[in-house]
Amino acid sequence: MTTGRPSRAAGRSRTLVGVTVALTVAFAAAVVAVRTGVPATGSAAGAAVPIAAERRTLTVSAATSLTQAFTRIGARFERRNPGVTVAFNFGPSSTLATQVQAGAPADVFAAADPSSMDRLVAGGQVTTTPVPFARNRMGIAVKPGNPGRITGVADLATAGTVSLCGPSVPCGAYAAGVLRTAGVTIPEARITRGTDARTTLGAVARGDAVAAIVYATDIAAAGRAVEAVAIPAAGNVVAVYPIAPVAGGDRRLARSFVDVVTGPTGQRILAGLGFLPA
Amino acid sequence: MLGSASFRPEPGRRRRGTGAAVPVPVVALAVLGAAFFALPLLGLLQQAAWSEVVRDLGSPEVRAALRLSLECSLWATALATVLGVPVAWVLARGQFRGRSLLRALVLLPMVLPPVVGGVALLAAFGRTNGLVGPWLFDTFGIQFTFSKTGVVLAETFVAMPFLVLTVEGGWRALDARYEDAAATLGAGRWTTFRRVTLRLLGPSLAAGAALAWARALGEFGATITFAGNVEGRTRTTPLAVYLLLETHPGAALALSLVLLAVSVVVLVALRDRWFGVRR
Repeated sequence: MTTGRPSRAAGRSRTLVGVTVALTVAFAAAVVAVRTGVPATGSAAGAAVPIAAERRTLTVSAATSLTQAFTRIGARFERRNPGVTVAFNFGPSSTLATQVQAGAPADVFAAADPSSMDRLVAGGQVTTTPVPFARNRMGIAVKPGNPGRITGVADLATAGTVSLCGPSVPCGAYAAGVLRTAGVTIPEARITRGTDARTTLGAVARGDAVAAIVYATDIAAAGRAVEAVAIPAAGNVVAVYPIAPVAGGDRRLARSFVDVVTGPTGQRILAGLGFLPA
Repeated sequence: MLGSASFRPEPGRRRRGTGAAVPVPVVALAVLGAAFFALPLLGLLQQAAWSEVVRDLGSPEVRAALRLSLECSLWATALATVLGVPVAWVLARGQFRGRSLLRALVLLPMVLPPVVGGVALLAAFGRTNGLVGPWLFDTFGIQFTFSKTGVVLAETFVAMPFLVLTVEGGWRALDARYEDAAATLGAGRWTTFRRVTLRLLGPSLAAGAALAWARALGEFGATITFAGNVEGRTRTTPLAVYLLLETHPGAALALSLVLLAVSVVVLVALRDRWFGVRR
């Protein structure tokens, strides 16, 4: 296609490429510099954090079931602390803990069960004592109108496909506890496993699962997409939510976020969404 | 099929000149780009404790997932071929309005987040609130959710675009004069298609099918959303990897390595064919 020698055009594009490379290398170097400036989580405490003063983003890794509550609390927190942005990382507590252990830069960790938190305490990623800030119950979610006629946990033994969280995710472990207490065994071939409480509930709301065992708060948050069948307190499991600042993060800001969650504002928001006080 | 490669016009013959050498900065960027892909793979390999990998691959959970993945992905590839080749044919040779619209529609799953694809499949084929799902169940007793058929459907949905794109490219690159010549020599339409078109199309068909298979094998989002995550029935290898990651990281890693090995083998076997045939 090009017949003549493309000397000048090629020269210009080569300069362009050169500039691009220079910029890329400079950017990469900057990234590396920033990364090495931040001490790795779990490393010796007291290492200098040179960029702490300019850091205006608070990263909060929180259990999926806290999505609504924490989004509201985050908005309040931002209003009270001008210039601060709260970035949420919602997911299954166990995955979030694994992320933090792998060095994900979180400032605050809020889990749906003590075991994920204990893992970080044992690993040295959380150095202060975690504070329980809320409790939750499990409930049964069914389709609107309850076509499967589910009245309690016992009915799940003979119902169609039941949606549960993965066994290693807190809500999966709690659901297993509920079933164990009721003496109900559901064959694995009739269980579909969601990745977290929301996707587990989605199998009922959008899909063809007959019922799901998830947090009562998630069922409430789903509105009219599902109906709730309560699990009596005697056969229910109480989920305890702990929160703590993550070592190596912005400790001052993290501390004040934890205070808001455990304080009257946070507690009022949590109660409004169906959480029980810790 | 690959044996018929001699039918293919030599790609080298069409190149005009060799072009200028690749500038050094471009090479440097390319090295960076390659490293970006190589590092995660190296990380995965470095994490593996090989004696455990072999042991973990023998566990019943892992074997069930692998068997299910193999079965469903092969069915998905077959379905994608049966439905995809005609679509590619229409796209390559058909002259009609809305052809680019059809192509966009067919390629949509390539850019759509697979989870959205899964929700869309539910909206169409869900048993309780799908568009045609309730009818399919009442009339034929077919339920896609929580069934192998659902997995096959989800995998076909995300994998078929790869086949269509590759085969359409092959069809366009195909020299229609060969077909004309065959017709002149007295071959009927079917004979021409079988002996000339299909032979010339062989490499891109094989490449498309292999790519579609690899994509089907790795499918996660659409599968878990649409077909669910039921042990032994819809828990394919990627879903098992996700579940095992926290309880048995070793087994999850072993499964990841199997997926990785398969993908590498497929891509190396394809070499330049995917893009090469479209030259």
